Amino acid sequence: MWKTIKNWIEVRVGLDELVRTQLTEYRVPRNINVFYTLGFVALAGFIVQIITGFFLLTYYVPHPDHAFKSVQGIMVNVPYGWLFRLMHVVGSNLIVVAVGCHMLSVFFMNSYKKPRELTWFAGATMLLITLTFCLSGYLLPWSQLSYWATTIVTNIPSALPFFGNFAVTCLQGGQNVSGVTLGRFFALHVGVLPALLILLMAVHLFLVRRIGISAPPFGAAGEEKKPWTAFRHEDHPNGYPFFPHFVLKEAAMVMAFFALVFLVITFSPGLFLPEDASIPADPFKTPAHIKPEWYFLAAYQMLKIVPNKFLGISLQITIVSVFLFWPFLDTGKEDNMLKRGVLFGVFIAAIIGWAVLTIWGKYS
Amino acid sequence: MRYLLSCLLVLVCAAVAAAAAGSAEPVCMQCHDSDMMKPELRKIPGEWRQSWHHQNGVTCNDCHGGDPGDAAMAMSPLRGFVGKPAYEGVPAFCGKCHVGILKNYLESGHGKALKASGSGPNCVTCHGSHGIQKANIEIINEERCTQCHSYDRAKIMKQALFATEKRIRDIEHSLKKLSSQGISTDEEERALFRIEAEFRTLFHTADASLVRQKTDGFLQQLDGLQKKVDSLFGELQSRKNFSGFLLLLFAGMGVGFFLLAKDLFSGSDKN
Repeated sequence: MWKTIKNWIEVRVGLDELVRTQLTEYRVPRNINVFYTLGFVALAGFIVQIITGFFLLTYYVPHPDHAFKSVQGIMVNVPYGWLFRLMHVVGSNLIVVAVGCHMLSVFFMNSYKKPRELTWFAGATMLLITLTFCLSGYLLPWSQLSYWATTIVTNIPSALPFFGNFAVTCLQGGQNVSGVTLGRFFALHVGVLPALLILLMAVHLFLVRRIGISAPPFGAAGEEKKPWTAFRHEDHPNGYPFFPHFVLKEAAMVMAFFALVFLVITFSPGLFLPEDASIPADPFKTPAHIKPEWYFLAAYQMLKIVPNKFLGISLQITIVSVFLFWPFLDTGKEDNMLKRGVLFGVFIAAIIGWAVLTIWGKYS
Repeated sequence: MRYLLSCLLVLVCAAVAAAAAGSAEPVCMQCHDSDMMKPELRKIPGEWRQSWHHQNGVTCNDCHGGDPGDAAMAMSPLRGFVGKPAYEGVPAFCGKCHVGILKNYLESGHGKALKASGSGPNCVTCHGSHGIQKANIEIINEERCTQCHSYDRAKIMKQALFATEKRIRDIEHSLKKLSSQGISTDEEERALFRIEAEFRTLFHTADASLVRQKTDGFLQQLDGLQKKVDSLFGELQSRKNFSGFLLLLFAGMGVGFFLLAKDLFSGSDKN
């Protein structure tokens, strides 16, 4: 019976050839390391975010009078609603970690270099979209924390000349955060951003598959680097099969990711839900200390220490632009970071600077 | 695309900033915070900002009347400004909001003494005025009570109140813990608030025998609330067990896949 079905599909789709060319005969570099699995981990995380998001969407009401209560209802009354919500909340934070580590490892291994500039650009844009996902999702529970954090964030562009106030009005849909803002952020979170992310993910995966996986610049590769004068697929004839070898490695990392999600849910379910997240939004009562989520703390602290608000925002836009277009700025031939002293120094300094600003922002 | 990218940049770069911004304050602060004010009047805004009233959105005009949005009319009787009440007028002044407490206070020895002599203790004697904090049993203490009389009767009353007060604080603590774990405790908080408010009125009778007589009723109500809180904690524990099971399941699968992958890679290396 099974053989008949398989044969029926084989005749029409050519499944055997597809599996052979795309999985078992598709090779990954011999010196591939565990950091290469992080992109797949992030992908698995996004899939779970979509599934849990759909579940939450079934019960969530995007209206200022009902949003908070509907989220509380999900936590208390809906069977296993707490599990889906906590997986969504904790998962979103850990996806930022996974995507961040993926970008850092790609940067460290100089895998963004020719011909992978567009792959980097799509990935970097996806990181920005991930952060925008977090920002827009933050408002949806309509708690004190979400309301006031969003009020502060949406007012920041007012420091920009010419279109600053216009940007604020666009974001808020009026003079302050209201039901209109909630509607806009909801649409962004469940409509616009998923579509953009899926589109970019498709481009990113297409480019990865089309160009081939880059070999790490160090380790026992034994592969000769050929100059890129015309398009070609980067083959690794002596490499390991993508399936089952590398897929099993990826599966192990995905399991570790979800084990981490459940570790947080089991032992510290309130880690990403501070006290103000349990209080319904009150536009007439400002909480004493509103701090952004951990991944925005460095940017928040930078804005605080730069004396001029416009200068602070300009600096951050510059940093983000350099990050996005880095492959077009770094045209050096050497792709081993350990042999590029200055770049390696800047890389380490940037990580330390980010960590210091984050800790400073947390305790300032 | 460029517009879209700009919007995304603005959204992302505009990372959350700024510490606490104070909510709009009444215009009264403009003068009371300024150097032209006498020191004893200038300290009022600071005391109020630290107070329980401030935390609950009770501002100057809620007690003193006047217009909090118009500096020129802020102290105008036409806008209901009543200023500072006379000493014997303080209970009625506070009792505009604290109605139940006013009734019990007026029937108590404290209230009768104020009415008879005009010099008995009023609300401010025990609670203070602008820096008022959330009431608790520690307000009854030897230092405060012996300003007017011996501590003996007050001590008996404090002991009678103690058990109920402790149960209230314990349940309050439990509700906060539940709330911090994402459990909505609105209904239970409202029930506790009702019990506590009713219990607070007892304080003002200054009658130890009445307190003893009514304590059982309060404890029964608190028992009912405690049962609900316990069942919520039970629910939290079962959640923890379930997610703990998922943690072990995924960790186990992770180890399994890792060992399989290791085996495959080393097998390929040998070949």
